Amino acid sequence: MIVQALRISMALGLLLAPCVVSAQQLDNSQIMSTLGQVKSAAPAVDVALLVEEANANVGKGVAALPNWGKLSELSQLIVEIDFENNSTAIEPKSYRTVGLIADALHHPDLFRYKFLIVGHSSATGTAKHNLELSQKRADAINEALSTTFAVSPDRLFSVGAGEEWPIDPGHPESADNRRVQLINLGLLK
Amino acid sequence: MTKRVGISAGTALACFLTLTAVGRADTISYADAVTTLAKECGSDIKKFCNGQNLGNGRIQACLEKNASKVSPSCTSTLGSVMTSIAQRQEAQASVFKVCQHDISQYCNSVKGDGNILSCLVETKRVDNRECNQAITDAGWR
Repeated sequence: MIVQALRISMALGLLLAPCVVSAQQLDNSQIMSTLGQVKSAAPAVDVALLVEEANANVGKGVAALPNWGKLSELSQLIVEIDFENNSTAIEPKSYRTVGLIADALHHPDLFRYKFLIVGHSSATGTAKHNLELSQKRADAINEALSTTFAVSPDRLFSVGAGEEWPIDPGHPESADNRRVQLINLGLLK
Repeated sequence: MTKRVGISAGTALACFLTLTAVGRADTISYADAVTTLAKECGSDIKKFCNGQNLGNGRIQACLEKNASKVSPSCTSTLGSVMTSIAQRQEAQASVFKVCQHDISQYCNSVKGDGNILSCLVETKRVDNRECNQAITDAGWR
């Protein structure tokens, strides 16, 4: 129980982190120590079901859905990766963050694990468009990691959450809601 | 707890080795490599490669295609960034091969890549220069 409470407060700390810490200050050991913690009882997540659930619930939110709900129980961190407006192109100023993730995923401590990249948008624009764009943006990060940085593609999964899971539900249009979650999905089988 | 101590000790060692390794070009992290790319080529990327992505060599292809218009510092940086990324990848792929002898000698009963690496880094008796250098080049200190 103590371990669990610690993990929850740590997750909350990381959830708040993007508001005060810029992505440039994120460092490798921070990523390693957060993502390296895996609970033996961590739930298995089927990425295809996440996509299905999100598409069937556009505009209704995903946090309470059965498969999306499991994600909260997994080791994760939130990073800021900026894209060109209405495009899947990663802004050059965010290349470093993608590189930091690549450095961490290439460390032997994380070799055995697979990871899910979740793209989130703010509520500006239609919910359907936001869902599609965030899926494509998550896919673009996946592609950069698996090609430019040669992370094995069988370790990487990506999904868009659109505006369906705001970090700041009171202000759905806030830029803070645009973010990328990197989640440890557990052992590569 | 033990792990965290191991990591900070590793970092200290890496700093020491970085400071003392003279006359040899060390590899750099993926993060540092693409930070240089963004710094030297960011404005050219925004100007000539709008909407194109880092993945699948598209930014590289775009900058090369527009070589006549791209700034000279970007062109020279692009080559060295791509070389550093390739060197780091090569180093990471080679560690467990280069260190095979030391692994069987000192870390034989250790299971798991992360634990084997910690064993190699922590075992003072690993005096194999190639193995030590391979770990440093892989960025795993």
